[in-house]
Amino acid sequence: MASSPTPEPPLPPVKLDPLAALLSYLIPGLGQVYQGRTGKGLLFFGGLYVLFFYGMWMGQWRNVWLPDVSGLPDVSVAGQTLGGPAKAASYRPQFLGQFFIGTAAWPGVYQYAVFDATKDTGPVFGKFQRTPDEKELNELQRNGNKRWDLGWVYTVIAGVLNLLVIYDAFAGPMFREPPKPSDWVDDADVEGARAGAQPPAKAEPPPAPAAPPSQVPNPPDQQGGA
Amino acid sequence: MLPLLAVSIYWDLPVLLVVVSLVYAATRHDNWDKIVHEATGWGLRITGFLVAIGLVLYLLSTYL
Repeated sequence: MASSPTPEPPLPPVKLDPLAALLSYLIPGLGQVYQGRTGKGLLFFGGLYVLFFYGMWMGQWRNVWLPDVSGLPDVSVAGQTLGGPAKAASYRPQFLGQFFIGTAAWPGVYQYAVFDATKDTGPVFGKFQRTPDEKELNELQRNGNKRWDLGWVYTVIAGVLNLLVIYDAFAGPMFREPPKPSDWVDDADVEGARAGAQPPAKAEPPPAPAAPPSQVPNPPDQQGGA
Repeated sequence: MLPLLAVSIYWDLPVLLVVVSLVYAATRHDNWDKIVHEATGWGLRITGFLVAIGLVLYLLSTYL
């Protein structure tokens, strides 16, 4: 009779972290850095900002904006007439994806809020993420060798990828690793160490669950995170 | 100049490919070995898909 495989220790329950999720929204990867996963945080920060700003560079820094729609026809969705930013987003849905890159897209929101059609530039940010006028937009699209359009696609992909990063900060990766034996420390030992008592001692490994071979848990790679 | 070496939007694709592969893999694992392994797999699959589509379009435009 074949011997049953050694069961893996059970995974700890998922801890949701809304603060880390908020930090990762503001700046990609910041929530992971806050959680101590510095390497991944830096990967997310570098990767997504490279993609977002490379896309803006391809579009000559003129492909991220939330348009002023004060003179444009109303938009209705499910019988409701949209107004304000919702109406603006309906005329420029790309911004919904770009928005989730976090603070890097906030100048676009600011430019929308303070837009003045009688001026060529906005306060603070000048033309950065400001609605281009129709003549400039036509030139960008006509003379850009398609790179202007591909550029905004890159910025949207960066924003949407940051949604995955935010979720990773909120609930951890899709596939979680079982804790290493060196991490098995009793909470009581940690509390004792904080109180200045004995240093934390390694605890015994958690007892293996008494399950028959037919109920052996799945390997870690097949266990979903959250 | 060879058509492949001309300024083209296709030269912008590697940036997208590398970042998407790495970031997506890193949201699925915490272990760096697994991240690199999965990112490599995704990178190769996406590259293969794009090359296959490009080849089909090239053949259609050349011989059809």
